[in-house]
Amino acid sequence: MSHGNLPNYLRTYRKRVGFDQGEVAFLLGAMSGSKTCRYERRFRLPPLRSCLGLEVIFQTPVRQLFAGVYREVEKEVASRAETLIRFLAKKPQTGVTARKIEALRVIVLVAKNHEGK
Amino acid sequence: MRGNSRRELRVLSIDPASRGFGFCVLEVAGRLVDWGTRSARSRHNRNERCVAIVKKLIEEYQPDVLVTEKCDGHGWRRHIRVRELIDALVNLAHEQKIKARQFTQKEVRAAFGVDEATTKHDIARAIANRFPELEPALPDRRKAGDNEAHHERTFSAIGLAVTFWHERK
Repeated sequence: MSHGNLPNYLRTYRKRVGFDQGEVAFLLGAMSGSKTCRYERRFRLPPLRSCLGLEVIFQTPVRQLFAGVYREVEKEVASRAETLIRFLAKKPQTGVTARKIEALRVIVLVAKNHEGK
Repeated sequence: MRGNSRRELRVLSIDPASRGFGFCVLEVAGRLVDWGTRSARSRHNRNERCVAIVKKLIEEYQPDVLVTEKCDGHGWRRHIRVRELIDALVNLAHEQKIKARQFTQKEVRAAFGVDEATTKHDIARAIANRFPELEPALPDRRKAGDNEAHHERTFSAIGLAVTFWHERK
């Protein structure tokens, strides 16, 4: 089995607060609880406005609500950051390039720290 | 969208009841991911339906370990159907390539010993203290002759999962 964070913890946070799916849907401005259900069961990824709405409802950052998705995205971005570091390193070094490389190194480092935890 | 490669131990715990089972999903961080009861009302193939529901839970939560009650513990007095269901769940765990662990009620009580929880209600109270989100679901103390509430099985399932973590420590 594959393990790590679940893609999302919407149900966990909803049950902690005690809301039902219909109530969360109402707060998100949706017609019925089936939308909440689809998000919870990972049939759909909510759009940005709904993600922010969920953050407001559960008072928890989106990256914690969607911990698994966040890790996946972080890994992908870190991998691209490594590629970009290699590309920039070949260019003539200026102050701007150095700053970019520094920022990219932070991205890679933070992602590796999260992976190692 | 399913899980990623980062290892994080997740436990699915099942405690069978007369009309279904209580379950909980607990993570290594002490995060209670999901909990509740599932009904499987059927006169003839209740165990098969329970196994099918547990299979769905395994697909959804991808646990590393399935924890159930140990059938051969001293003074084990539950129905033969429950024993068969637990055996079927252990087989399901092997099929799904996840570990199966079993604990007796004595081991569960020992895990909660520090909280001086000896009865089921005491254990449920200790669980509600540890996971405040369960406080509203905490059943009243049973009186003689009262039946066990169906949702009390959730607390039994959480007790088994907590015992697993206690043993790992």
